[in-house]
Amino acid sequence: MPQPDTAKSTFLLRPGEWALVLAIVIAIALTAFVDANHSYWFRPLESVRDIARNTALLGIFALGATVVIIAGGIDLSAGSMIALSGTVCATTMLALAPAQMMGFKPVGGVAVAVGCAASLLAGFLVGTLHAWLITAVRLPPFIATLATLVGLRSLARALCESSTAALTPTKSALINISDPFFKTVRDNVWIPVAVFGVLAIVTWILLTRTVLGRHLHALGGNEQAARLAGIRTDNVKWFAYCFGAMTASLAGLFYMANESVAAPVNQGRGHELNAIAAAVVGGCSLAGGVGTVPGTVLGAIFLRVVIDAVSKIIKTGADVYEGLIVGIVVVIAVTLAQLGQLAKGGRRLLPGGLGLCAIPTLAVLCGGIVSMTAGGRAGMASAAGAALLLGFVRFWESRRTP
Amino acid sequence: MRGITKRFPGVVALADVTLEVGRGELHAICGENGAGKSTLMKILSGVYQPDEGDLEIGGRPVRFSGTRAAERAGIAIIHQELALVEDLSVAANVFLGRETRTSLGLLDDPAMHDACGRLLASLECQVSPATRTGSLRVGDQQLVEIAKALSLQASIVVMDEPTSALTESESARLERTIRRLLAGGTTILYISHKMDEVFRLADRITVLRDGRHVRTVARADTTPREITGWMVGRELADQECRQTRTRGAKLLEVRRLTLPWPEHPRGYRLSDISFELQAGEILGVAGLMGAGRTELLETIFGAGEPTWTGEIRLDGKPVRFGHPREACAARIAMVTEDRKRLGLFPDLDVAGNVSLCSLHEATRGGLLSRRREEELVAAPVRETGVKTPGVHASIMGLSGGNQQKCIISRWLLTQPRLLLLDDPTRGIDVGAKAELYALIDRLCRAGLGVILTSSELPELLTLADRIIVLAEGQLTAEFSRAEATEQKIMEAATGGWPDRLGSSRPDVAGDDRPGLRLVPGPRDDRPPIGKDR
Repeated sequence: MPQPDTAKSTFLLRPGEWALVLAIVIAIALTAFVDANHSYWFRPLESVRDIARNTALLGIFALGATVVIIAGGIDLSAGSMIALSGTVCATTMLALAPAQMMGFKPVGGVAVAVGCAASLLAGFLVGTLHAWLITAVRLPPFIATLATLVGLRSLARALCESSTAALTPTKSALINISDPFFKTVRDNVWIPVAVFGVLAIVTWILLTRTVLGRHLHALGGNEQAARLAGIRTDNVKWFAYCFGAMTASLAGLFYMANESVAAPVNQGRGHELNAIAAAVVGGCSLAGGVGTVPGTVLGAIFLRVVIDAVSKIIKTGADVYEGLIVGIVVVIAVTLAQLGQLAKGGRRLLPGGLGLCAIPTLAVLCGGIVSMTAGGRAGMASAAGAALLLGFVRFWESRRTP
Repeated sequence: MRGITKRFPGVVALADVTLEVGRGELHAICGENGAGKSTLMKILSGVYQPDEGDLEIGGRPVRFSGTRAAERAGIAIIHQELALVEDLSVAANVFLGRETRTSLGLLDDPAMHDACGRLLASLECQVSPATRTGSLRVGDQQLVEIAKALSLQASIVVMDEPTSALTESESARLERTIRRLLAGGTTILYISHKMDEVFRLADRITVLRDGRHVRTVARADTTPREITGWMVGRELADQECRQTRTRGAKLLEVRRLTLPWPEHPRGYRLSDISFELQAGEILGVAGLMGAGRTELLETIFGAGEPTWTGEIRLDGKPVRFGHPREACAARIAMVTEDRKRLGLFPDLDVAGNVSLCSLHEATRGGLLSRRREEELVAAPVRETGVKTPGVHASIMGLSGGNQQKCIISRWLLTQPRLLLLDDPTRGIDVGAKAELYALIDRLCRAGLGVILTSSELPELLTLADRIIVLAEGQLTAEFSRAEATEQKIMEAATGGWPDRLGSSRPDVAGDDRPGLRLVPGPRDDRPPIGKDR
């Protein structure tokens, strides 16, 4: 029975990706209107620069996450890799030019280049370690990268403390960066954006137009079949995890430049989940084999636009709500992608006792969030509204399927 | 079931099908893949709801909202793909969702265990109810499904191709079980491709084609030939691929191949296997499931355990492949046994699935070119006769036969000299099978050496020039085409033990034991090509 070919692009992008574009536009428009300061109206350039920088930084390692996810794996260690990368670069420069580093003076081109190269090398080594743990030791990718998620941050902190203890008068949990090269990177937003753009194009060509890219898709789609088709699956995995770790270390350099400090305690903490979220919102399947670069780029933009919207609309303590909003948005985006099936297959969103309990749960959640941000009365109202709406959905569903 | 119609997006799966089944009857339902057999049965068992039509059981109209409702009405279905939780015990699976509980509301394991044990004993199944289900053989898992149906006290049992994964002796045991169920008044709806089974068991036979009811006849009033004709909509000419093929030089030689199996009491998966293959020849490998057919092909292809000993010579030169990649480079191709699990890439389109092993030929300046890829796959897709709406259609939308042709196309692109086919027609309907036979014959005539395993003996007898028989990892017989009969092969495949289920460790090692070797004489002196030499 011939099936319509839904996987192919309609016009430039796939349908789900056009929906993402629309969602981005809506989020921006909403922020422009709702934000009491109207900063999107009055200082558009500043907003664009902010979102562009954050998107580029997230996008760089979200591309790495995309490649790993398409290959059927998962890399949970990106956030710690970001911390390790900054620390390795700073430590290397500290070792090469300790006096300049401590005196907040330029350390020289050679030290910068060696520092950055050391970071990327660290990424390669971590990727190799992941691939070895997964293919030779046969750990599940989730376990292997969970171990490095906790392990690498510790390692970065230990490296930072022992190198500062050895090379400077006092032991320290962070290393300040004052070289003009990193200042330039920090002050010119087009640099990370350009790097992200080039990396996106390279990754896109890699995934769609090279043999290796096809093998990545095949590996993620059906690993055993890929091996039996003569693909060296272990080597393909090696590449995928190295790509994932090296993009994270590249992003780590930018984070370090951005904050003018290598601070392994907190730098990049939790970012791995943002990268995975960007990839998933962009249409990657965690089962492997499915995903696109344009999808992930749009996913990263969408995520950053939403986070920016939260910080613009909620003036004080926006970072408190950031995780909550990102979580909700990921759930909604992935649910919307399945909505077609939901309607067609007769599946119900609120079935049985679970559905019944989900209605008050969601209503309380909704009311709680609103009352904390906009006051108790609005919270009560929105909780009641949500309960009514969901109740109606359940009623409608039960009418539809006897 | 009256006037049942079921539509899926883009296709009418069932159009106005009416089916009447008497109490205590075994009603066989035949049809090619995609004829609507499984859909009809899924409607009966509540998996799908019909768009039109009514169901009546015992004269009362019923309407099932789900499988639970159908179970309450006494209908149990045993799916083709078994639906068991591998990590739970047999007893837990049988009572899954309907667990017996003690007065405290806790699980009453001993009671379930006993009840399950009784059910299994009544099915001649010797596994313990405490066994982990995943460790059972497919045949025993099937019996667990049947035990589950029995525990429901189902009055109607639907079996969807129950023997497709069973060995002959397991099938025989299943047949005995079926007869007992029928004697107890259970009604059975039996879906099968296999005419011999259908004609042994069925009281009446219904044929479906393209979602329509073709006809229902009593077994006595028809012939397998007629049924097959109704299934495909035409009379099938008996396949004859046996015209002489010319053989070339010796291509492959396997000497004393042994593959150890440390964690098993038998100690080996393959023991002391020797045979030869010439170019332009089809060597059939017969054997029950677990006899080592797949292991033999995988070892040659470098896809199995690397621990084997012995000698594999390709063109007279000893080879030992550590990875399928190396075997590909030596121009060996292997079409794997389980298409969905080991062959297909569901996320790649038809072209992507076909070009996968020879992608470097579809590049221009190091990058894949969509046009070159289309050109590359066009030839093998045409040669194998894949029916597809286009090379960029989804591979999962094709029928099993066409998917298999795509995989053969994939390997033809690598220009193999040796083609290993592991049960290539499993789950493929009759019409497509005939096309695959013709294709395999054509490839062989073009000079390929082919090793073919199959769980269906007629297939081997149709295609192969010679047949070797494996039993419990040992080579027990070799027949030329003229010598081979189903009877002889079965005897060799069961290793001389009519009930091999009880004997987990048959002692067939000694060459001096009479009756085990069907071809007389010491193995190594035997002429390799049978009586044609």
